[in-house]
Amino acid sequence: MTEPPVTPVNLLAVGCAAPALRLPAAEVAAVWGGPARGSVAVCDADEDSLTLAWQAAVDALGAAGTDASAIDGLWWGTSRPPFADGPSHAFLATALGIGRESGGVLVSGSPHAGMEAVGAAWDALAAGHARVALVVVSDAQVPGVGTAGEAGTGAGAVAVVLARDELAGGPGDDLPAARLVCRATRTVPVVDRYRGDGRLATGDVYDQRLFRDEVFLPLLAEAAEAAAGAAPASGGEAASGGRAAPDGGGRPARWAVGDPDGKLAGALARRLGATSADPVRAVLGDTGAAAPWMAALPLLATPDDSPLGVVGYGGGRATAVHVVVHRPVPGATGALARLGRLGTAAGTPDGTLAPARTITYVEAVKVRGQLQPMTEPIPMGVPPGGAAFVRGNVEMLALLGAQCAACGTISTPPSVHPACTGCGGADLHTVRLARSGTVQTFVVNQTMPPPFQAPLPLVVVDLDDGARLMVQGAPVDADTLAVGDRVELLLRRYALERDVPVYGYKAFRVSVPQVGSGTPGSVPAVQEVGR
Amino acid sequence: MSWNRVAVVGAGLIKFGELFEQSYEQMAAGAYRAALAGVDKGMDPAAIEACIVATQRGTLWGQEGVGGNTVPSALGLAGIPCTRVENACPSGSDAFRIGAMVVASGVHDVVLVIGVEKMRDKSTQEGLLARAAAGHPLYNRGETAPVLFAPFATRHMHEFGTTPEMLAAVAVKNHHNGCLDPYAHFQNEVTVEQVLASPPVCRPLRLLDCCPQTDGAAALVLTTAARAHEFTDRPVYVAGFGVATDHPYLHEKHTYVGLPATVEAARRAYAMAGLGPQDMDMAEVHDCFTITEILDIEDLGFVEKGKGGYACLDGETALDGRIPVNPSGGLLAKGHPIGATGVAQLAECFWQLREEAGERQVAIRRGNALQHNVGGRGSGVSVVTVLTRNPS
Repeated sequence: MTEPPVTPVNLLAVGCAAPALRLPAAEVAAVWGGPARGSVAVCDADEDSLTLAWQAAVDALGAAGTDASAIDGLWWGTSRPPFADGPSHAFLATALGIGRESGGVLVSGSPHAGMEAVGAAWDALAAGHARVALVVVSDAQVPGVGTAGEAGTGAGAVAVVLARDELAGGPGDDLPAARLVCRATRTVPVVDRYRGDGRLATGDVYDQRLFRDEVFLPLLAEAAEAAAGAAPASGGEAASGGRAAPDGGGRPARWAVGDPDGKLAGALARRLGATSADPVRAVLGDTGAAAPWMAALPLLATPDDSPLGVVGYGGGRATAVHVVVHRPVPGATGALARLGRLGTAAGTPDGTLAPARTITYVEAVKVRGQLQPMTEPIPMGVPPGGAAFVRGNVEMLALLGAQCAACGTISTPPSVHPACTGCGGADLHTVRLARSGTVQTFVVNQTMPPPFQAPLPLVVVDLDDGARLMVQGAPVDADTLAVGDRVELLLRRYALERDVPVYGYKAFRVSVPQVGSGTPGSVPAVQEVGR
Repeated sequence: MSWNRVAVVGAGLIKFGELFEQSYEQMAAGAYRAALAGVDKGMDPAAIEACIVATQRGTLWGQEGVGGNTVPSALGLAGIPCTRVENACPSGSDAFRIGAMVVASGVHDVVLVIGVEKMRDKSTQEGLLARAAAGHPLYNRGETAPVLFAPFATRHMHEFGTTPEMLAAVAVKNHHNGCLDPYAHFQNEVTVEQVLASPPVCRPLRLLDCCPQTDGAAALVLTTAARAHEFTDRPVYVAGFGVATDHPYLHEKHTYVGLPATVEAARRAYAMAGLGPQDMDMAEVHDCFTITEILDIEDLGFVEKGKGGYACLDGETALDGRIPVNPSGGLLAKGHPIGATGVAQLAECFWQLREEAGERQVAIRRGNALQHNVGGRGSGVSVVTVLTRNPS
């Protein structure tokens, strides 16, 4: 088969996110048996695929040095959108500030959604329907208890900013940091991991040897080889393993492979005549739709003459993408550092990863929603379908304030402030609030009805733009929070209200005034941002 | 020169507590009958021309549509005009202010002001704690009642060195006073150690820093100064009152070491009465939490800003102190049935000025007393009333 021609696009910047918790495989093994090596990342009760996607996207936009106004759309791939059928894309786009005009797509259905989202954004750019695309691949799969996948299922997100070929990114740069030069997809209808409609957790009743030898390895190898054939030029040299052509053709010497079980990527690399090391996989586990791009992070930080092959699998589909890295992709180093402060020291081959909160098996099934109390939660005063919720949700997600034209005071939130709280003026315009600030005062609530869980800090924050908010704080900060502490507002899932995910910002303590996140080579001096 | 156009001639309470056996109507009737019985020369119920009722949260009782129209029938006064006042925690105080203005207007000569609140017909979690899930759908989620005041404790401690022991001193004093008040919900002493060892509710506030959830009712009979002597030889006059509002949300405060609404309400009440804090013999102030009493006595001018905690620790606000505060036991010990609270505070001032307060009687030298009630989401409304036994 001859691959159709592909128009290259530029990769301007990258960002990533990982959740706060780590579940050692030994915890799972103690209950169900199986291997006891390594750990996986688990979402805390207030994290999910959307909050991870938000964090990665914020990082990537920061690294690209752009704001949401330059983005033509959001392409999001995840097997776990918070609403299986609902406003997932609209919520995330609004939180990123690309709300009303946002194009793009939400791709779901399997972990292959991550590769499909990249491909869809790529096609839109190549067709001229978008100039700059924000692509986020994120996942927070819930493994079935006792399944073979339970000890390996992690969570995480990667975001990339892609642009049409003529938009190189950095000022004065003729050459983009990296380019996506070719790709190929292969398909076979098989069942491996799957989740039926209405199921909370992913099951994995299938023949793993059959999957490995008859599906995963041949399919991914075929996609990888086919991508080389689709390279814009020098495709004939692809099999030679020789030096790459200047336009990025040639056979990849490095592979980043989404690895469902921690062994398949290595086997594929051997088949392709290369080696594979994925230090992120070792700590975060299989990040599903994000997995191939998680594996690619260290490689995007390192330029190379030959292309990088990124290969992802899910739901009987495999896609390979060739990426030529001319110089370190902005955000890649910072992204690794970000994972570093969220990771765990255990099992880190390169030592870049630092401690995070380790949980027990019982805590894991609780935060995954597989262990539920029989208490009746007190419903919110405003149901999520009501008009007041719609008003409040927009201004919370987009973090809006009402700034007075006369005196400059920012009143928050706008829906309850038709008049300025500073001077009473009525000439107000909507602004996006700063996400960093200082603790004016706070409390730690210990006594609340379900679904709230103590301790819950509530923090009055003086934002750096002069606005003031009271928002929830991070439970991890409950014992040490103090007046004057610096905090950063991060999007989190407040609750599942009548089964509807409800999002808002929480104030997380940072140790010193923060450095711009995602800047190449600068490790943000931030402690415990993700707990 | 005090305003003194309206007089209080009778006051009545029911004993506050968890009154599971009493309905809203029974509580209202109990307070009304007690107030009528408290009129020295007696009063024919037919003399009562109108009623103002304060109930802050009818939903806690389970009747969403509770209104003034439902109360006269329970009192045996069906037919008279009756209006419900809702103005957050100061609902009772504001009902009194409105009742006084009704009398002063000349429309009605004798008005009954009654505050009634059923706090305990709903479980704790369904009750005030349900605020944690109310309000703006997303901002302030997790905001229970103590969240409205604990941030002030955090900041007061930060700026003035106020300590948990100073907060505890407020609880110790008010529980002591409550032991001397037969209407009080709690009739037990507590020690500083007990307060500091009680479970954290909303740090830095602990259980004994918080008022209980209390059922209760209180009633006052108001008439014109001119007609007061038809009912008693010892009327107590409304010398002045003030109400002030502030921005409603906690994050909109311009200060977290005081309540501007209280400062402004006090300024207005003092100006109307022609009196100042130095002229008061005692005060009933809003101590929903220990920190609130510390803020109050500073904002009302009894002590310098920042010194409230020290004043409590030094006994300045005890029954025999420089300015006795909350001789009734306050909200902390007597309880806080919201709509009834302000009315009950005024009843205590009435009895103290008439020197009828028994074991908890404070020394009346100048003949003036102050009552204060604050509330709303972010202490956005405050009411201050000055009563006097001195004819103008």
